[in-house]
Amino acid sequence: MSKPILRINNLHKKFKDTEVLKGVSLTVDEGEVVVIIGPSGTGKSTLLRCINRLIEPDAGEIYLGDEKIEPGVSNLSKVRQRIGMVFQDFNLFNHLTALQNVAIGPIKVKKMDKKAALKLATQELERVGLADKANSYPAELSGGQKQRVAIARALAMDPEIMLFDEPTSALDPELIGEVLEVMKKLADAGMTMLVVSHEMGFAREAADRIVFLEDGVIVEMGPPEKIFNNPEKERTREFISKIARLHGKAQDVSGADLHD
Amino acid sequence: MGLMNSNAIKVFKSIPYLLEGVGITLEITVIALALGTVAGLLLALCRVYGGTILHTFALFYSRIIRSLPLLVILFMLYFLGSEVVNIPAFWAVVIGLAIHTSAYQIEIFRGALQSISKGQMEAALALGMSKYQSIFAVILPQSLRRAIPYWANEASIVLKDSSMAYVLGIAELMRRSEYVSARTAQPMLTYIVSGLIYLILTYAFTRSMSKIEVKVKIPGLER
Repeated sequence: MSKPILRINNLHKKFKDTEVLKGVSLTVDEGEVVVIIGPSGTGKSTLLRCINRLIEPDAGEIYLGDEKIEPGVSNLSKVRQRIGMVFQDFNLFNHLTALQNVAIGPIKVKKMDKKAALKLATQELERVGLADKANSYPAELSGGQKQRVAIARALAMDPEIMLFDEPTSALDPELIGEVLEVMKKLADAGMTMLVVSHEMGFAREAADRIVFLEDGVIVEMGPPEKIFNNPEKERTREFISKIARLHGKAQDVSGADLHD
Repeated sequence: MGLMNSNAIKVFKSIPYLLEGVGITLEITVIALALGTVAGLLLALCRVYGGTILHTFALFYSRIIRSLPLLVILFMLYFLGSEVVNIPAFWAVVIGLAIHTSAYQIEIFRGALQSISKGQMEAALALGMSKYQSIFAVILPQSLRRAIPYWANEASIVLKDSSMAYVLGIAELMRRSEYVSARTAQPMLTYIVSGLIYLILTYAFTRSMSKIEVKVKIPGLER
């Protein structure tokens, strides 16, 4: 039943003399939620950015469905339309309202009729619980609201997979829950997701697989129960206990105060 | 001494004559500014987003022009004109001013473009926009707003620099002030009057630009 949506094969990336990715291979199946954890500076963001070619990898192949992503060969715009991306710093377009932020992708990229795009954008904002903020500008929104608009903006392109690059790291603790709840709902609805995050609660509840990345290589991967409770590698155990201390034990996401 | 001698009265009677010069001053300013803004913005885009050739061209253009005095540029154009093709004095001034201001505007727009965080471009590209779409739909609308106060400052410099046209014998405000000053033997008073006219023009312009700046401000945003 499960067919691979994303296949990464032996990916390498060097910045100057520092090798950030040292041969990473990873497959994400349709409907699967994969959470990548690992110390900072180990190439988690670089890995995500290589997938939609915001960063050009040095070596290795990436397939989206059956199509190999190759700059100059494949149309990058077409590929990126199929991959939604959510950034740590939200990166909402500051000069546009929440509604316009969500509509601009379909309008500019898919050449959708403006009226239809605004209707779609309204639906996507409803999906993240922000219909009432449609006419607010990013600077008028809280961090959590901004990130939810950013998720809606990516969803409006109807992507086959969503990449989340530490979506809650720039948020105040009390705003994290609302973003995780939206992500959880997405996961439950069957969206394929590749998430860089240290939110243990989310990882435990929503992830099908945890990937522990360190120093540019995948140290270990497996289902959350195994990685959290009974990892094979000592290094994984160390890291898990470290972030458990920092981010709290893997408690229930749904227990948090989620509604605004 | 009476309240005003007859020469002083002559200065005031010359005000309509001076105001006719204002028309020419404004003509020079508006055309030079329009050309200079288009060139400055295009070259700033080349400087920030262009490939090696365009980037280097914009860089050197800006450096060279900014190191030349405006008068030198005007004379070069005018006398190059008389030797190769005949450029009328009016157009020598307009083009000279446009070239001069474009070099400064490159730096204004470059700064404004670079002040927009890298993440804005990344988010636009990640949606599937082309680089051109990202620049025109996302980067420019934000950076142009930020450039307004700096551009307005440069524009008022162009307005005042248009007085340099007098060296090529164009009867704009400055040249006419010189005539009036010679005819009335009242240089001080004459230049106070023309100075006031420049002041009013500049003030009116910068005020309207501040109004525009407020009007297009992005709600909630500090800068």
